[in-house]
Amino acid sequence: MASSAAVESPPLRISPAARRGGLKANERRIGWLFLVPALLAFAGVIALPFVRALGIAFTRNDLRTPVPRFIGFDNFKTILASPEIMGSFVTTAIYVTAATAFTLVLGLAWALILNQPFRGRTALRAASLIPWVLPSTVTAFVWGWIFNSRYGVLNAGLIELGLIDRQQAWLSDATGAMTAVVVTKVWLSIPLFMSFFLAGLQSLDREQVDAARVDGAGNFAILRDHILPHLRPVVLVVIVLGLIGNLQHFDTIYALTSGGPVRATTVLSIEVFRRAFDQWDLGLASAVGLLWVATIMPAAYFYLRHLLRGV
Amino acid sequence: MFDLSSLTARTIFALCAVAIGFFLFFPIYWLAISAFKGNAELYRIVPTLWPHAPTLDNFETAITRGKLLLHLKNSLIVSGSAAAINSLLAMYAGYSFAKFQYPARRAVMLLLLSAQVFPFGLLLISLYPMMTDLGLIDTRPGLVLSYIVFALPVSTYMLYSYFSQVPSELIEAARADGASELRIFHTIVLPVSIPAVVTVFLYGFMWSWNDLLYAMTLIVSEDKRTVGPGLLLSYLNEVNADWGGAMAASLVASLPIVIAFGFLQRWFIQGVTAGSVK
Repeated sequence: MASSAAVESPPLRISPAARRGGLKANERRIGWLFLVPALLAFAGVIALPFVRALGIAFTRNDLRTPVPRFIGFDNFKTILASPEIMGSFVTTAIYVTAATAFTLVLGLAWALILNQPFRGRTALRAASLIPWVLPSTVTAFVWGWIFNSRYGVLNAGLIELGLIDRQQAWLSDATGAMTAVVVTKVWLSIPLFMSFFLAGLQSLDREQVDAARVDGAGNFAILRDHILPHLRPVVLVVIVLGLIGNLQHFDTIYALTSGGPVRATTVLSIEVFRRAFDQWDLGLASAVGLLWVATIMPAAYFYLRHLLRGV
Repeated sequence: MFDLSSLTARTIFALCAVAIGFFLFFPIYWLAISAFKGNAELYRIVPTLWPHAPTLDNFETAITRGKLLLHLKNSLIVSGSAAAINSLLAMYAGYSFAKFQYPARRAVMLLLLSAQVFPFGLLLISLYPMMTDLGLIDTRPGLVLSYIVFALPVSTYMLYSYFSQVPSELIEAARADGASELRIFHTIVLPVSIPAVVTVFLYGFMWSWNDLLYAMTLIVSEDKRTVGPGLLLSYLNEVNADWGGAMAASLVASLPIVIAFGFLQRWFIQGVTAGSVK
């Protein structure tokens, strides 16, 4: 790539040390100049909206109060007093835990399978990424059709296998709907998790594994004593990324169940969206949104610290 | 990695592979074949495992009756513009972080990357009135601008990781020759970084192409709608769900992104996992 060109580059005419004084101020200025476009965009579509949402959370701002009126912590008191909204925190916890845990296990297993040499492995790896790149509406359609109560292939398959004796109305039953949105999200996220694990497996010391095998270690011992310890840091990153992604996820849940039946799949993303854009209660929606951010913060802290290590 | 010479090991491995493979690929298979089934075959209690009477009717109705092609065109315009702007912004920011030293560098980087953890739904609450005030609600430019939030943090980080590997001697040498910083970036650094820039473009494109939340909220007119909400509002209507049409339209809407991805997936995975795995 670039390295061969670097070797042939002409020697410096001025020693770097001699230039350093004047260069430093210049470097600082140019460094900042290169940042300006991104920072402007960041300010406009991320920082400003966030700060405004922070402000709106402390106001009454709904259809009857189009001009925001400061009400202090009243929105937060409303939240604490509302079993509905508090319930959506519980629903979020269930959804996020289940989705992250299942994706972790299946993504790891799939990465280990694709790490084994066999014919067609490269093609299979590439094809495994498809769920991740499909538009979220398409993903929701696919699973909505599979979970369809009357014509869905899931019901037909389960009846054929004798696991259920009559059609289940998956999406109109609380547990069934939660199962459906979790399964959909797991399917959607396996490719990303798998990619991280495959990247991590590349740096596994194969000689060490071979040596252990010569010493009589079986597959399970190799997995427990070599592969899993080696992947530990990747597992942590993936869990943190998974938590962040699942806490934020909206699209496929909305397209599949819109948060229903009743409120069975109303996670925080749906809660905030409904309060804001169905009921137009922007004050309350922002307040719920801020608490939502607070739930993401611990994972975000680890993630950002990880990304910025060594910067 | 695993020793599969024993029958037990091979059986367990094969069972796991088949089970997870089935979970991953069966839905895609089902999407594809359902699109080619006529209504008589689609709405059966015991479904057929492949289309016994394959038909293109669903594609025909999806294309002629709905506004699929218009929505696809809108998506192409919006995602293409959003991805281009996102790549440009991320390019310069990533280069700045990678090759310049200045006091608040780490802090600014933290700020920019932190955008990835803000839930989009929360930002939308105030983005919506802001776009309304600016007259950008229900316009494609408004949606394009809003999409920057999705991909910018990760894109900047991907390019930062990539540019960090470009040898500094290369840049120093050009500086010694008196080339301007912009010129150095454009003629020396960028040409060796095309794979990374393409990856970032595709990443931004994918986010915008696949989004539902922003597209559904910030665009109201049917004629400006993009493909995500377009599909949802055309087909998922409880009273009269047209599953065959939905599957055919889904297939058409997914093809561009899947094909683009097929060509670039190798670079893509390196870029996305960059810096997070070592």
